[in-house]
Amino acid sequence: MTSDTDRRSAEERFREVFAHLGAVTAYARRRGSRDPDGLAAEAMTIAWRRLAGVPQDDPLPWLYATARNLLLAERRVARRTGTRVVEPSVPAPELHDLDPQLDAALRSLSPADREALLLVAWEDLAPTQAARVLGLKPTAFRVRLLRARRRLRAALDEERRPAPLVQIDVEGT
Amino acid sequence: MTDHTLNRLRAANPSPEGTAVNADALFDRIVLSTADRRLGHTPRRRRRPMLLVAIVIVVCGLLASGAYGVSGLFDHIIHGPTVKAEYAAAQKQLTLPPGHRWPPLNWPKNSVTSRGAGGSFAVSVDQDAWECYWVDAIHSGDVASQRRANAALDDLMANHIVIAPAGSPEDYTPPQSERTPTLAFADDGGYQYKQRMYAEAAAGKPRLLEQSCLANGP
Repeated sequence: MTSDTDRRSAEERFREVFAHLGAVTAYARRRGSRDPDGLAAEAMTIAWRRLAGVPQDDPLPWLYATARNLLLAERRVARRTGTRVVEPSVPAPELHDLDPQLDAALRSLSPADREALLLVAWEDLAPTQAARVLGLKPTAFRVRLLRARRRLRAALDEERRPAPLVQIDVEGT
Repeated sequence: MTDHTLNRLRAANPSPEGTAVNADALFDRIVLSTADRRLGHTPRRRRRPMLLVAIVIVVCGLLASGAYGVSGLFDHIIHGPTVKAEYAAAQKQLTLPPGHRWPPLNWPKNSVTSRGAGGSFAVSVDQDAWECYWVDAIHSGDVASQRRANAALDDLMANHIVIAPAGSPEDYTPPQSERTPTLAFADDGGYQYKQRMYAEAAAGKPRLLEQSCLANGP
């Protein structure tokens, strides 16, 4: 920053990034952060410090990627302090309020598949945006999303299938 | 996935957008901190001729000077092995919290920095480690460890961390860094922010400390 003009210009630019605070907080909450508000605030602070690297046209994927890294760091700290940690690699979604069938189907997916689905379904990102969050090429992300969709559908079908009838042998009839 | 399945997943979104924090206050607090320095820089294209002139002047100066002059000119620049030696020496003067280890410093041999950088890395590592140790102690209710962490961080702030004078260059080296590992904070309120963080944590409000550990911890 060399002058007040630069600073004002930076603040204006940051205001557009900061407008996504609610979305980032919700993302952190959905992924089971212990402190979603604090995590979103930290992501915004990082965005301010690295504003030149935040894409001006579409900062949301950058913010989600940063929040995701902070979530992983939060999990590492939780692991150090002995708090129970669910997922080893990808933040686990907070699924407690879901209907049990969907909950079970989602939990049966790999973390990578689940994250691809949730970025599109819950964070409402386009595949190209979601690809940026995960550091993938759009093509690779589309393939992952397609497979994840198929696996979720299969898992839901499995959940819907009635339990097999128990064959009862009746002796003497 | 059929649209039905996707719609079902969308409808199951457990949390609407929103935040409980005062967004305006948060915005004001964030923009008070140091902004990205790259934003204020003149575009590189315009700097290039000046950079070229500066390089030519430096080269001419080097050619015109003798070996003594050259060695004097670069006295404040150190290479990888010296950085690592400084880092190792600093570890003898600083104390890590129990259970923490000094991480290896991966500094390329052919990369250069200012004298004292190895010590400042060590101070930074030590500070981050004590902050996380303090957070762990708070979470576990270990009052003695909390006091110990507080004292260690106060000592670091008093004896190993300084505020660079206003207008200092990016590679400012504190004069005492030859004898004592020292980390220089820019004069932008960062030092005072840390002081506030520690005071609040000592008063039972560890939120800033937890955030710092989360972002910088080992």
